[in-house]
Amino acid sequence: MNPALSVRNLTVRYEQQERAVIEDVSLELDEGQIGILIGPNGSGKSTLVKAILGLIPSRGEVRVFGEPFGRPGGRIGYVAQKLPFDPTLPLTTREAIRMALPGRADADTEEVFRHSVEILSVVAYLDRPLGALSGGQLKRAMIARALVTKPRLILLDEPEAGIDVEGEETLYQLLEHLVEHERLTVLICSHELELAARYANRVFCLNKRLICSGTPKQVLTAETLAGLYGVVPAEYHIAYAAPHRAEPEGHDR
Amino acid sequence: MIQALSFPFVQRALAAGLLVGVVASLLGVFVVLRRSAFFGDAIAHASLAGVALGILAGIPPLLPAAGVGLGIGLGLNSVEKKSRLGVDTILGFVLPFFMAIGLILLAFAPGFQPELMSYLFGSILAVGSESLWIIGLIALVVVPVLLALRRRLVFATFDPDGARVSGIRVDALLTLYHVLLALAVIASLKVVGIILVNALLVVPAASAKLLARSLKQMFLLAPAIGVASVLAGLVVSYRLDLPSGPAIAVVSGLGFLAAWAAAARRSGK
Repeated sequence: MNPALSVRNLTVRYEQQERAVIEDVSLELDEGQIGILIGPNGSGKSTLVKAILGLIPSRGEVRVFGEPFGRPGGRIGYVAQKLPFDPTLPLTTREAIRMALPGRADADTEEVFRHSVEILSVVAYLDRPLGALSGGQLKRAMIARALVTKPRLILLDEPEAGIDVEGEETLYQLLEHLVEHERLTVLICSHELELAARYANRVFCLNKRLICSGTPKQVLTAETLAGLYGVVPAEYHIAYAAPHRAEPEGHDR
Repeated sequence: MIQALSFPFVQRALAAGLLVGVVASLLGVFVVLRRSAFFGDAIAHASLAGVALGILAGIPPLLPAAGVGLGIGLGLNSVEKKSRLGVDTILGFVLPFFMAIGLILLAFAPGFQPELMSYLFGSILAVGSESLWIIGLIALVVVPVLLALRRRLVFATFDPDGARVSGIRVDALLTLYHVLLALAVIASLKVVGIILVNALLVVPAASAKLLARSLKQMFLLAPAIGVASVLAGLVVSYRLDLPSGPAIAVVSGLGFLAAWAAAARRSGK
């Protein structure tokens, strides 16, 4: 079976820069899995996500469900780290989600919209201005917006940014629910090792290059994290104490 | 005033005012959302080169002005990408360059040019049938295209990366938007003039933004305020014997101040 996402030898190099921002990155994520990309600040996590999405020029190959991913279009949903909206604009949550609906408004697209806002529990504040939502509500609205394009794979860039600890937990539970009930595959950039330990099927360690990948139990070790971050992060002890997902496979690299 | 409606030049002024009020303020919504108010000013000033060419060649000045506007609208995105300069910086070059060409061309036109003054400050009562046809044609192109592309354009405006990921060709869409905007600016020249074009492009949409609670309301309010500004400006101009372009601009500005006061009252500030 083809993996949901296959990245081969992906390199991003900006003009006038000697060093590549990310170099020769290869990874695979199977359908129905949650992959979490960890690494220090400036390690290239967001760049990798944007390169996968085709938003920045890159060398290498990206395949989504076995097909070459040349130009973006429908099969991948994307939730950016920062809110792309000016909170002072008169934009309701409903309008922010509906603007992503593909094609003409018909019974099918209305059903997709209804299902997306219901499963993300944003129905209650659909008519509130986007600027009046809390961080957690906003993130759920943005995920609902990604869902209305009916993607099979969603990429999220630090979805926990701007959310309190309780909200983070709810958000990751929601993502887990989407994977289980909506047959989605999810790749997340995150700094939260504890959440990676608890929710990821696969963890990818990035620092310009892919340092390691595997199950949380295999990857989130003092040795690996020290190699990735330079020191063992304080969160490691929490992550280590958290229940890891059972995953029988060995290291990829 | 009712009697004045029987005059053909007043009928043409009303038709031009209504068309421009709708076209400019609808596009103005995107100008305000994209925070690109300088675009309208730059295109309007640069169009002086086309106006001057039209006066010298003895053809309707709106035609070469539209040519200049379309050229800038089509080229802006590509120049921005290739030069890696910001749009505002490029427009900072476009405005003085083309306006200076217009001023140099006008130096070759003999004597006083009353038509030039109507393009600088607007003279809706002097809209001839040729200009009205051009304005009507522009409205016929701009409004349906804008309404058809509204959702995609809103998406690309708010979240270009998200729009690209969902398959929207954002660069092509923005080029088309710049072309529509250039056409709307050209259509506004006879009504409010090169100097005051933002009175119809930016001010009604800005007033609508202050009053609206949703994007849908903003899209409905902006053309309503634009049309009301033109009509009220025309009445003031007729009653007080004032120049029409500045009268429309002042009424539009007063509308903005009223919207500001209403918004402040609503939010309790």
